[in-house]
Amino acid sequence: MMEVVNFVINSLVFPGLLFASLVGLFYVGIDRKVTGHMQHRIGPPIWQEYLDVGKLLSKEDITPGAAQSFIFNIVPLVSLGAIVTVMLFLPVTSAQPALTSVADLIVIIYLLNIPAICVMLGGYSSGSPFGALGAGRHVVQLFSYEFVFILAIIAVVARVGSLSLGTVVDFQAQQGWLVLDWRLLPAVIAALIAAQGKLLRVPFDIPEAESEIVHGALTEYSGPKLAIWRLAYDIETIVVAGLLAALFFGGPTTYVIGGTQIPGIVDFLIKTLAIVLLATTLRNIMARLRIDQALKFYWSFAALLAIISLVLVLAVP
Amino acid sequence: MTFVVPIGPQHPALKEPEFFRFEVKGEEIVDVDIHLGYAHRGIEEALSRRNYKHNIYLSERICGICNVVHTTTYCQAVEQLAGVEPPERAKYIRAIIMELERIHSHLLWLGIAAHQIGFNTLFMLAWRDREYVMDLREMISGGRVHSATNTIGGVRRDVKTEHVPTILHGLEKLEQSTKYYINLFGSDRTILARCTNLGVLSKKDAIKFCAVGPLARASDVKTDIRRDDPYGAYDALSFNVVIEREGDVWAKGMVRLREILESIRIVRQALKEMPGGPIRTRVSLQIPPNETVERTEAPRGELFYYIRSNGTDTPERVRVRTPTYGNFASMKSMFVGGTVAEIPIVMWSIDPCFGCNDRVTLVDSRTDKTRVVSFDELRRWRK
Repeated sequence: MMEVVNFVINSLVFPGLLFASLVGLFYVGIDRKVTGHMQHRIGPPIWQEYLDVGKLLSKEDITPGAAQSFIFNIVPLVSLGAIVTVMLFLPVTSAQPALTSVADLIVIIYLLNIPAICVMLGGYSSGSPFGALGAGRHVVQLFSYEFVFILAIIAVVARVGSLSLGTVVDFQAQQGWLVLDWRLLPAVIAALIAAQGKLLRVPFDIPEAESEIVHGALTEYSGPKLAIWRLAYDIETIVVAGLLAALFFGGPTTYVIGGTQIPGIVDFLIKTLAIVLLATTLRNIMARLRIDQALKFYWSFAALLAIISLVLVLAVP
Repeated sequence: MTFVVPIGPQHPALKEPEFFRFEVKGEEIVDVDIHLGYAHRGIEEALSRRNYKHNIYLSERICGICNVVHTTTYCQAVEQLAGVEPPERAKYIRAIIMELERIHSHLLWLGIAAHQIGFNTLFMLAWRDREYVMDLREMISGGRVHSATNTIGGVRRDVKTEHVPTILHGLEKLEQSTKYYINLFGSDRTILARCTNLGVLSKKDAIKFCAVGPLARASDVKTDIRRDDPYGAYDALSFNVVIEREGDVWAKGMVRLREILESIRIVRQALKEMPGGPIRTRVSLQIPPNETVERTEAPRGELFYYIRSNGTDTPERVRVRTPTYGNFASMKSMFVGGTVAEIPIVMWSIDPCFGCNDRVTLVDSRTDKTRVVSFDELRRWRK
């Protein structure tokens, strides 16, 4: 009985839906504000993202005639569910996540792909040429960044010798952050580049380039369904940042400063915010690439970095 | 299998309504069909119903961005019809304001071009620096956008001596930031990746399709009305005609950016060499029957006015051909073979201004089809 209550609280309140949406929306708000300042304008208030999602949720739910299908309606929810589930596998307060399994990294990689696949399904079933084009680009982009992302994670797994994220964090608590290990440094860079593509940020915001294909796969979505997409996107931001923090930057650690104990959650928030701000900076100093250029970039430069890292980890003791 | 991607009449890549029907195979463009006429405002008919004075304000409103060059062309044409010559100082003031307009137009182009390739930071910064030139225009003419400076026989407002240092200071800042953008445009790797080798207009095609303005100059065609057929004060001012060889989007941008530097040079020179004296001569507006053609170099290319007078204070016919119209013919050869991702930036590379361009479409109400009418048919139809 207790386990069931725990699970419900975990998935709905902390670190699940409620916590993830609050932090995710807040981070995207910070991202927008910082972007504004970088572009020499004031930018929206930090809480703007809450207002936007709230406004969309309160709007009428319209499905265009050509898009009337079960798939079109269900994919936003599936995507949100998948991404909130990843939150349960992430170490948020301590090395121990809310849910554990023997090889949770494989589950995380799998679950992180579901939103991308949902976007494609939504785009293809929307009956709009922009949706189809956006979905097509999304497929290509998925095949670009996913390989790099998985290779970077394999490098970490080879270094630590475990597929469990909790073990990776424990390992770093004893041996120091993996980003400080020179053999894994190329993998860190590759993972950051892959995350930029996963989160659809410039220069890899190709699947939803608004000046080319309106809003890509999500063109026909509006109202509450679009709000759920936004929520899923925003939570994905913190999930990917949290995963990177756990893999390379030591994960949530408790510190004792002046006799008071700082809980791991604070460390988690600081680290994820730093990663989000790094991604924000990257997206503001570049132009968008074309899809073929992005594919080439990932499979040549980024993949090479990840492979070098993997080879170094395996070859150099 | 090809399918059709409609760009327009309403689309985020277009700032004005116009319809482009792209046939694509995957991401590759196979064919493009251009439908014009969505922003038709009947402005030529309106021009031939108002008197010469009122028409100044109407011609100013043909285009929001290049309004001074429209009124200058119109006023020069009417002055030619009436056989008067504006005072020298007025010509210099016109040149100064027209060049400031060119700077503002090209910076605006840079901003939107950056937005089209997803570089929003450059977009915001370019428009921030555009504010300098807007402020200068406001100081000189009283209006940030519509300066309403020109009148038949001269200009309405003088450039005051106490304004000159402020203008020079503003130009200094503009020169600095333009040099920075030229450097950035030539070295940033993502910009180069998105702009080089696409939307190429070869020199042969540029001549064949009669491309005008920066579009032609980017394809190594040395054409500039200011030099080829000097008007106003441009005889006395020295400047270089900027050309690039590549003919791609990057070259079109580079031509515009380097033209900003030339414009800054022209304004400085004009401020230095500007003679004193009156700024306006009186013109009697009962103009005897006559006709005239006037050409000027707008920021986007050659602007063409034809006016026929009939002895009253109202023109019988005014024909306006804007540079965008002259450049549509080149568009197809720039698009075909490219990809969907290139559409916005290639389209923007001609700096289109659809509102100025649209003149006439005929829609058959029974079939809802746009009909192409031959010149003879149109003449018969008018009678």
